[in-house]
Amino acid sequence: MNKTVLIAFAAMFVITLSLGAYAAVFGKSEMVHFWVAFPAGNVTEPITLRGAGPPVSMAPIVIDLDSRGALKNALNPNIEALSTHWIYNLGKKPVRVQLELANTTFPVEWSVSANLPYDEEAHTFTERLYPGQSIKNLGIDWYFRIPAYYMDEQIVYQGGLKVIDADTKQVLTFIPIIIGHGQEIVGGVADCCS
Amino acid sequence: MQLKFLDTLRKNKMRYISLVAGFFLFVAPFALFSRLVYFAIGNVADPTLHTICLRMPIDWMFSGRYYSLIGSVSAAFVIGVILLSFFLGPVFCGWLCPVGAVSEGLSRVIPLPSKFRLKIKDPKVTRGLRYGFLAGFIAVSVFAGFKIFGDQISSVCCRYCASATLQNLVDAAFGNATALEYWHTGGIMVLIGWLIIGGVLMFGGRGWCLFFCPLGAMSNLAHKAGSKLGMYRTEYDKTKCTDCNSCKEMCPMWAINDDKSIETTLCINCKECVNRCPKGAYSMRWGRKKDAGVAQQN
Repeated sequence: MNKTVLIAFAAMFVITLSLGAYAAVFGKSEMVHFWVAFPAGNVTEPITLRGAGPPVSMAPIVIDLDSRGALKNALNPNIEALSTHWIYNLGKKPVRVQLELANTTFPVEWSVSANLPYDEEAHTFTERLYPGQSIKNLGIDWYFRIPAYYMDEQIVYQGGLKVIDADTKQVLTFIPIIIGHGQEIVGGVADCCS
Repeated sequence: MQLKFLDTLRKNKMRYISLVAGFFLFVAPFALFSRLVYFAIGNVADPTLHTICLRMPIDWMFSGRYYSLIGSVSAAFVIGVILLSFFLGPVFCGWLCPVGAVSEGLSRVIPLPSKFRLKIKDPKVTRGLRYGFLAGFIAVSVFAGFKIFGDQISSVCCRYCASATLQNLVDAAFGNATALEYWHTGGIMVLIGWLIIGGVLMFGGRGWCLFFCPLGAMSNLAHKAGSKLGMYRTEYDKTKCTDCNSCKEMCPMWAINDDKSIETTLCINCKECVNRCPKGAYSMRWGRKKDAGVAQQN
């Protein structure tokens, strides 16, 4: 193997590691992925729940718009997204899962796909999720369309995701979500490829 | 130029038909293959191009997330593609992959003169870059999966995903405008890298496949092993060659060495060289026995 080939190999290796490092940086504030488990109550600080399947770490979600990548801020600043692929029932009874975003003051679009029947209007999975199970092939994206006049606010959105038992209307888990400028990220961000 | 384009189209029509079929088989709203699989296993989720994710299963293999591989359609698909590559060469890349097909198609329909297109002349350097990426991809998977650097490094699957970008473009074309409204930094980089630099500006339009597709790189490793054992491959017969270089001008994967032999770590058995060569110096072969004058594969 000649020197040029080795240099090419090494250069690309380093570039790929750099892409991984950069993904870790902008991934904390762009299309943030997070895990959801219930019942967990009000998630006010980072917690890890253990049950069937992998441990589920959750924390309040904080998105600092100033920490996004340069290309995002320059070309596509007014729409931000959150995503989850993981909802686990760590409780003791089957639950029809209803989701609700609290305190939204501007349009948020939902995009949901799962191997469990889902009612788009009620944001509810119409079949029960049994204890120890997760929703298979889940992909939920929330697109926050932030109006231009909100973009300069210190806090753009302060609310959260409620996981509700659709039969009893009991809130099983609440994950606070803050979108703003100069916010301290506390954790809860998952690798989207997990 | 128009005639050359039409001639290429005519000679490789089966491959282009297959690439179009690949689009309908894997990309939503059609995703016919994935729908059939989901139907067979009783999955009610809506299949998309993500259903056969070409990257995550490779990430899972090296990041310790073995539990994700179990029962996964994409894992079965990726393993199937690699196994198939051992026997038939990377035919998924060359004949079915919608990501490669779109960038290659774009390259062919945009009449940018060759002199304005980027190409690395030495396939060995291309190979170095390609496998440097694969090694980096695996290293990132290990680092991120086992938290070797804490949360300072993240997987390079979903944050830089050409499949997601393609699916979003198609979703938008079929009425879901949101798919094109949201762009994250990695998505913007991929759009530029996959379609503009890798597609339009790189010779052959397969820049993404060459330098940023881990499945493509692994498929070619399987192909290299398979071709040494006599599996299906493209071979070169130097006794028929007139050094016209038309093969080099046609190969979308830059897989033809200076001595015109085929670089199996790059070749996707697309048969473009076979159909292009006026003297029939390239042919598809099975079996270990080589005729006199047929160059040893690299």
